[in-house]
Amino acid sequence: MISLRNVSLIYQNGVRALDNVTLEIAKGDFVFLVGHSGTGKSSLLRLLYRENLPSNGEIIVDGIRVDRLRHGRVPALRRHLGVVFQDFKLLSNKTVWENVAFAMQVTGAHTKDVMRQVPRALDLVGLSHKSRMYPGELSGGEQQRTAIARALVNNPKILLCDEPSGNLDPSNTTEIMELLLRINLKGTTVLVATHNQAVVDRMRRRVVRLEDGRIVTDEERGYYYLGLGQGQILSG
Amino acid sequence: MDSGKVKFFLGEVLRNFTRNAGMQATAIGTVAITIVLLGAFLFVRSTLADVGKDLLDQIEISVYFSSNATTAQEDALRSILVHDRRIASIQFVPKKAGLAELSAQTHGVIDTSLLTENPLPDKLRVRVNDAQLVPAIAQALRKHPGVANVVFPQTVVERLLQLGYVLRRVGMGVIALFLVVAGVIISNTIRLTVFARRREISIMQLVGATNMYIRAPFICEGLLDGVVGSLVAVLILIAARYALWPKLILALPWIQLNAGAVNGPVLIAQLLLAGSAIGVVSSWISVGRHLRA
Repeated sequence: MISLRNVSLIYQNGVRALDNVTLEIAKGDFVFLVGHSGTGKSSLLRLLYRENLPSNGEIIVDGIRVDRLRHGRVPALRRHLGVVFQDFKLLSNKTVWENVAFAMQVTGAHTKDVMRQVPRALDLVGLSHKSRMYPGELSGGEQQRTAIARALVNNPKILLCDEPSGNLDPSNTTEIMELLLRINLKGTTVLVATHNQAVVDRMRRRVVRLEDGRIVTDEERGYYYLGLGQGQILSG
Repeated sequence: MDSGKVKFFLGEVLRNFTRNAGMQATAIGTVAITIVLLGAFLFVRSTLADVGKDLLDQIEISVYFSSNATTAQEDALRSILVHDRRIASIQFVPKKAGLAELSAQTHGVIDTSLLTENPLPDKLRVRVNDAQLVPAIAQALRKHPGVANVVFPQTVVERLLQLGYVLRRVGMGVIALFLVVAGVIISNTIRLTVFARRREISIMQLVGATNMYIRAPFICEGLLDGVVGSLVAVLILIAARYALWPKLILALPWIQLNAGAVNGPVLIAQLLLAGSAIGVVSSWISVGRHLRA
């Protein structure tokens, strides 16, 4: 579903964000991308939704050669992807319903499809009862669930999450992670960039660890730190 | 046609248009000022061109026959001129009529009754269709047998022709300058509205909206700015035209000002078109810059 081969990314200021990264993610996988701030997690995600182009290497997302994708074809790629951010990126002047519908309307979707899909997405994230509220009237967790509903409303095959729990308290974080798991169980490939050790250690999913732009570990059912759960580190 | 899509699109345009009222007012004001200046300039140019054309139309070539010219020579020249398509009209003034004219023109200051002999020659008054041809035709007429002298107001013709040329050239430059200046100002104004909505645009890009779809509401906004701005300008110009024209005629009695020289509906259509074009082109450029960045 996602394939990176020998991918490097060097920014114009000379900073090497990614260094010869090779990564395969199969359809239906749930993968944590971990590492400290500045290790290249967000840079890797930005390459996948073609916000940036790699300096070297080959990137394939759902069969599309992203590294060779012409600017005009980027919208088509992004309709296969859902992207969720730490800061939610919601429009404050639109209601929950309008924010979610907006993602369909701007792609030229038919009104009957919008009317069918938006309630489903809101139902999935448990916000049907707040569909008329504005983002400013919601808690952080609810705002993130709105952002997830918006990311899912076009039925993407892949969901990319960049620090989705970065602005949330532990209780809301758990809620969001459970929601992402439910989405994954429906067949959506989920890639979550995070430095939340508790979440990673509790969920025991595939963990890809980045350090200085390189993949240093890739474990099937891993912990945030190689081979060690949070409790073991504290006790050790 | 999906009415929901149309409703969403128009709703977005209207919402954004009314939300950034201050910026829209700036853009509309800029269009209005530019179009007022442009309209006033076009109006003055047309009026001046009409005055110039009117003066040129009145220019005539006086062909004086020599005292020994034969009737056959005079008739031959008249015959040639009658069949020449460049000639608008000819009028033969025999020497007797010429003397009477002179007496009338000088209001009796020259007492022609004292003359023992008519000193004036026979004369042809020639008017041509195109004032630019006056010098060339006059030159050709001089060579005709029986013609003693050919006179026309050479300096006036040259100055008027030069004025027309300058008006056309300067006019094109001034119009281009107006449009560019207005375009730059509106472009910057729309860049501000684009900047104010950068978050919305980034979300649109993120969920896979095409650049054309993102551009469309801004283009509509630019079009609205252009249309509303130029409508305001047209109203100002119409009001100014009715308020100032009578005063202008009184202030410049020596110039034959002709209100009909300007084709009002055509000028209004041109101004509306110019305003709309400025709005559309400048918003297209501003959003394009943002989308490429």
